[in-house]
Amino acid sequence: MSESLITFDNLCIGYNNQPVLSGISLSIARASFTALLGVNGSGKSTLLKTLLGLQPPLAGRVQIDAPVVFGYVPQTIQFDPLYLLTGFDVALMGVYGRVGPGRRVPQHERDFTHECLHATGAEEFARQRFAELSGGQKQRVLIARALATKANVLVLDEPTAGVDAAATHALLEFISRIHEERKLMVLLVTHDLPLVRKHAQQIIWLHQGQVLHGTVAELFTPERMAEIFEMELG
Amino acid sequence: MEALHQILSPDFLLRNSVYTSVLIGLACPLVGVFLVLRRLVFMGVALPQISSTGVALALSLPLWLGVSVTAHGSHSEHVLAFVGSTAFSLVAILTLAFLERRGRGLPEGRLGTAYVVAAALSILLLSKNRYAEIGWLDLLKGEVITISNFDLALTAAALAVVLVVLGLFHKELLFVSFDRDMAITLQKKVVFWDVVLYLLIGLTVSMAVLSVGPLIAFGFLLIPPLTAHLFARNMRQFTILASLLGGAASFIGFWLAYQWDLPVGPTDVVLLGMIYAAAWTVHWLIRISKTERNAHA
Repeated sequence: MSESLITFDNLCIGYNNQPVLSGISLSIARASFTALLGVNGSGKSTLLKTLLGLQPPLAGRVQIDAPVVFGYVPQTIQFDPLYLLTGFDVALMGVYGRVGPGRRVPQHERDFTHECLHATGAEEFARQRFAELSGGQKQRVLIARALATKANVLVLDEPTAGVDAAATHALLEFISRIHEERKLMVLLVTHDLPLVRKHAQQIIWLHQGQVLHGTVAELFTPERMAEIFEMELG
Repeated sequence: MEALHQILSPDFLLRNSVYTSVLIGLACPLVGVFLVLRRLVFMGVALPQISSTGVALALSLPLWLGVSVTAHGSHSEHVLAFVGSTAFSLVAILTLAFLERRGRGLPEGRLGTAYVVAAALSILLLSKNRYAEIGWLDLLKGEVITISNFDLALTAAALAVVLVVLGLFHKELLFVSFDRDMAITLQKKVVFWDVVLYLLIGLTVSMAVLSVGPLIAFGFLLIPPLTAHLFARNMRQFTILASLLGGAASFIGFWLAYQWDLPVGPTDVVLLGMIYAAAWTVHWLIRISKTERNAHA
């Protein structure tokens, strides 16, 4: 296993002092592709928010062993359609981390944003209003925005939710490609097991208050799957 | 048209009232855009009312303490009202925003309660005040008639602050409003930018309440942004269109009120309402026509 970048050290996560998951101790390797699995309410989003610093852990700590820039790709449903922003406007927000308060976004950062949109195949609809794009198009814009941050960790929260099968396939192929090319660490929250089997190297599976961590080969055995799904083997 | 010529004349007796109305009309929608985008419309109702309670309390306090305000200069009453209005606006918006962020309870319930208690408190304060009948009630109702040069300068200064801060930091304020989580992951100081935005809203509301009263302030905070949103294609158009619409409506409202001897504030708000209704109808017709064209294509 390669060098770890992120370590959860006896982490306890939850809301309003109510733990959702506790005793999480695991490491995620640099430049790995990790899938975060679990049923609704299992704590996937809470774990993601704790990792991103959006909410504090109830106990334990998240140790990050090198300077990290998170490229966060949230669920598209969280964006309010009232905002009159184009795809380009949304992607441009990725460079805001490098532009000081009160300063205009320099031309080279705008050009870089166009490059990111081009890389994700989103440039042709980048001038359209973000709220009016399809689910797959929005995801491409949000991934372009994540790339525009010059991230070394890409965190995707159910990027294929509400996206049709063809677009899902194209999206995951693209994420796999940039993972390989740019040596990005990818943390992907999904419910789609076939996609995980095809693209992920590591799995973190949140199951009935337990955290299972291992490679795809280790966790996707018939015995472990049966255990997880509480089924009898035929 | 004669009324219009009179209003535009530099010697017009109520010229400060015209200028102040237009400045408020231009300024309120600039911050109102953020109230609409953040879906804090009810805060736009509650805040001016709370601000006007601050005015009533600030004006009542010296009387209870036995201090004569007018003895300290002609502007002291207005300064006192400004301090009361601003203090109440800022404390209210920061408290309501904090509770909103905590996400507990029913936000509409909190805002509704704040509105109705503030309105009742204003009436109670003024009912026990012998000076209320001779001018202060007009101030709270928004009779934009007696505006001194000092009041005008104060309003212009407030508008300048709002314009400069919004112009300089629009990128940051928009970012933390649109995607707070992303802003946090990029190490942006989201609480700081929230406070900056709320201070701007509080300052604008308190100035507007002092000049035109709570009802009209609410009208200018919300109706121009709602109207502009129907036609704007990007955030820049949205903000500029809302502000220009507010400024134009306040001027035309003043003209109509002067022409037909109507109270200025209510005339402005009814005019804004009519513009919104007309704009909504036009927008609806455009959409119908586009749908039909697409169906035929």
